[in-house]
Amino acid sequence: MLKNYIKIAYKVFLRRKFFTFISLFAISFTLIVLMVATAYFDYAFGSMPPESKLGRTLGVYRMQMSGERGRRNGLVGYGFLDRYCRNLPHVEKTSFFTMPASVTTYDKGEKIKLFFKRTDGEFWQIMDFSFLEGAPFTAEDDKNRNFVAVINDATRQKFFGTEPGLGKSIAIDGQSFRIVGVVKNVPALRVHSFSDVWAPISTYKSDSYKKEYVAEFMALFLAGSKNDFPAIQEEFDTRLANAEIPDKEFNQLTSRAETFLEGITSEAGGPSGFMMIVIVAALLFMLLPTINLININVSRIMERASEVGVRKAFGASSLTLVGQFVIENVLLSLVGGAIGFVGSFLVLQAIARSGVIPYAEFHFNYRIFLYGFGTAVFFGLFSGVYPAWKMSRLHPVQALQGGTR
Amino acid sequence: MIKHLLRLVWNRKRFNFLITLEIFVSFLVLFTVMMFVVYYAYNYSQPLGFKYENVLNVQIDVKQQSDDYFTSEQHELTRQLFLAVKDMPEVESVASALSVPYQMSGSSGVSRFNGKNIEYERDEVTDGLKEVLDLQVVAGRWFSREDDAAQFLPVVLNRRMAEAMYGAEDPVGKVFNPEMNGGKESRVVGVVSDFRKRGELAGPGNFLFTRKNLNNPKERPPRNLVIKVRPGVTAEFEEQLANKLQSVAKDWSFEVASLASLRESLFRIQLSPIVVLGIIAAFLMIMVALGLTGVLWQSVTQRRKEIGLRRANGATAARIKNQILGELLLVATFGLLLGVLIVVQFPLLDVIGFISGKIYIYSILASALTIYLLTILCGLYPSWLATKVQPAEALHYE
Repeated sequence: MLKNYIKIAYKVFLRRKFFTFISLFAISFTLIVLMVATAYFDYAFGSMPPESKLGRTLGVYRMQMSGERGRRNGLVGYGFLDRYCRNLPHVEKTSFFTMPASVTTYDKGEKIKLFFKRTDGEFWQIMDFSFLEGAPFTAEDDKNRNFVAVINDATRQKFFGTEPGLGKSIAIDGQSFRIVGVVKNVPALRVHSFSDVWAPISTYKSDSYKKEYVAEFMALFLAGSKNDFPAIQEEFDTRLANAEIPDKEFNQLTSRAETFLEGITSEAGGPSGFMMIVIVAALLFMLLPTINLININVSRIMERASEVGVRKAFGASSLTLVGQFVIENVLLSLVGGAIGFVGSFLVLQAIARSGVIPYAEFHFNYRIFLYGFGTAVFFGLFSGVYPAWKMSRLHPVQALQGGTR
Repeated sequence: MIKHLLRLVWNRKRFNFLITLEIFVSFLVLFTVMMFVVYYAYNYSQPLGFKYENVLNVQIDVKQQSDDYFTSEQHELTRQLFLAVKDMPEVESVASALSVPYQMSGSSGVSRFNGKNIEYERDEVTDGLKEVLDLQVVAGRWFSREDDAAQFLPVVLNRRMAEAMYGAEDPVGKVFNPEMNGGKESRVVGVVSDFRKRGELAGPGNFLFTRKNLNNPKERPPRNLVIKVRPGVTAEFEEQLANKLQSVAKDWSFEVASLASLRESLFRIQLSPIVVLGIIAAFLMIMVALGLTGVLWQSVTQRRKEIGLRRANGATAARIKNQILGELLLVATFGLLLGVLIVVQFPLLDVIGFISGKIYIYSILASALTIYLLTILCGLYPSWLATKVQPAEALHYE
């Protein structure tokens, strides 16, 4: 019977090509937008190289010093991290690193803008960068204030063209760094790992960073498993509460060891609040395509009034008819879904190539596929049920005559 | 005529309800995007108050912890940087500022005046800024040497702020704040036409300049040097400038950028969400238009009998066309009225603070007009189809 339905559906779709086109356009366009958004979120927040271990990490993303006369907000300073965030229990590895700073250098009269990140030796063990040349710098390098740097592929190309970069020097911000490694480009969406150039923390021009509590650093703690998070957070909170504050005008420190998702969604009410906002936005966006589809479906089903009349006259129940129309509709949605997949793949490629997000490259994975598939089925069911129900209630005589007003 | 159309619409209320709903939601979507478009377009048309051409900015990173802690060495070095830049032959004029146009960072404040809270953005600048950015003084004067010896702190306001504070009175010479930064009185010495530091796309705001004297070691060192270069100076000068600054202050970091490039990157940040929203909304509208065309087409096919009967009774093709379009517009108007009813709640509830009434009304009108155009466009083909119905067909059916 299903085979029959499919056959009928195929014939119907071909009969009114314009309608089929409109439906497919609506479904595939909606899917493209939703899947591109999903891919973007997945790409920004998911665990993927070089941040494959992101799910097992806690970070320190902000710090506030407050007192009676005011407060100072920002990222954490190295002074606080160095004194209070080392050797937390259950933490396998600890890394401190700066937000990538934008620096300008000049090479043979040409202006080159780069992102420059300072970090320590353990950073390279938490992250799994893929090295094209050489190796990361080490904790020793950081300790001895060696002027070494790891650069990405794009930077190597800007300075040396197709030649290897290993052992060569680049001048950045008035300092000269010897290149010890070249890594594959990291997309700019990856907050922890992204940069063009990575150098040891100790290569700062002055020592003042060692005293700062609110500055430009972040910390990442790699735990054995997620179950260790509460213990780590508890110890962090205790140390924070007992920390000595260097500035006399402040008497309180506020910070947290939190997962990345908690960190970025703290303003939007935490991960669950953020998810609510995303879901509501997606539903609002889908409202118009859904109404549109229902509208089209009501119209195209009316056209088949006589067919319904015949089937009713021969004893088909309303339920059978609803079933048939819904199946037809889901089939159409799935075709639209397939077009949507191809479309979103092309759109993502175009975004990656446009350079809006530096070094972006999107990959499809099963999660995005599932979301897309789910939405397509949802569309098919939702936009098919009402018109089908309406049609199936037609009186056979009326239907045979060619429908209602 | 309208009464008759209303009855026709009512007779097919289920069908028309769906179209109304679709137009209603389309209006809401369109309005959301249109509001931003109108807002930005309106802001862009307003005068900027300064000129950004041929101006370079040097952001100085002195590695200090905060604005309020600095050493006398840092102060002296900043002064030397300033003098070194001034001496370069390519440089026409130079000034220092806490933050410059098109920069994301900035400083803001609130002043309580005559029982009103007046919010403003502020900047600390040296006397040269007027020349560097070509500011237009509309009343009083700009900062100058004579302020060195003054007993009060001089401030310059933009016109909007002067009006907000002193109304129609002449602001020049008025006390701005009897106790600014540690007890000294501050007075308005002049008014500039405007200073829209956040660029062409940002909304209007109040602005306050305070004077920076680089010779006073008690004042904190500035964050930026703004430099007007002579016409014809190329981008290669940026490198020379960076090298020169680095040779004066070895431990500091500098970032040289033209205001034009800062402007461009700020535009990109401000516009990209709107471009994405706009593209999505445009596709949604195309989708709605296609759907509507299909639905109307189908409905005309369904109503052949009725239309044929009218033709047989002597109705002209034009009247048939008008009937179809008239019904459609009536339904569209319902949807729009519903939409406007929802949309006018926002300013009443004060949900969107930054949009002024005028922009609101323009956005509603523009969205409604677009929807009307779109529906008429959708109705053209189906209504033409309706005029092709032969009376014989109708009689044949019955």
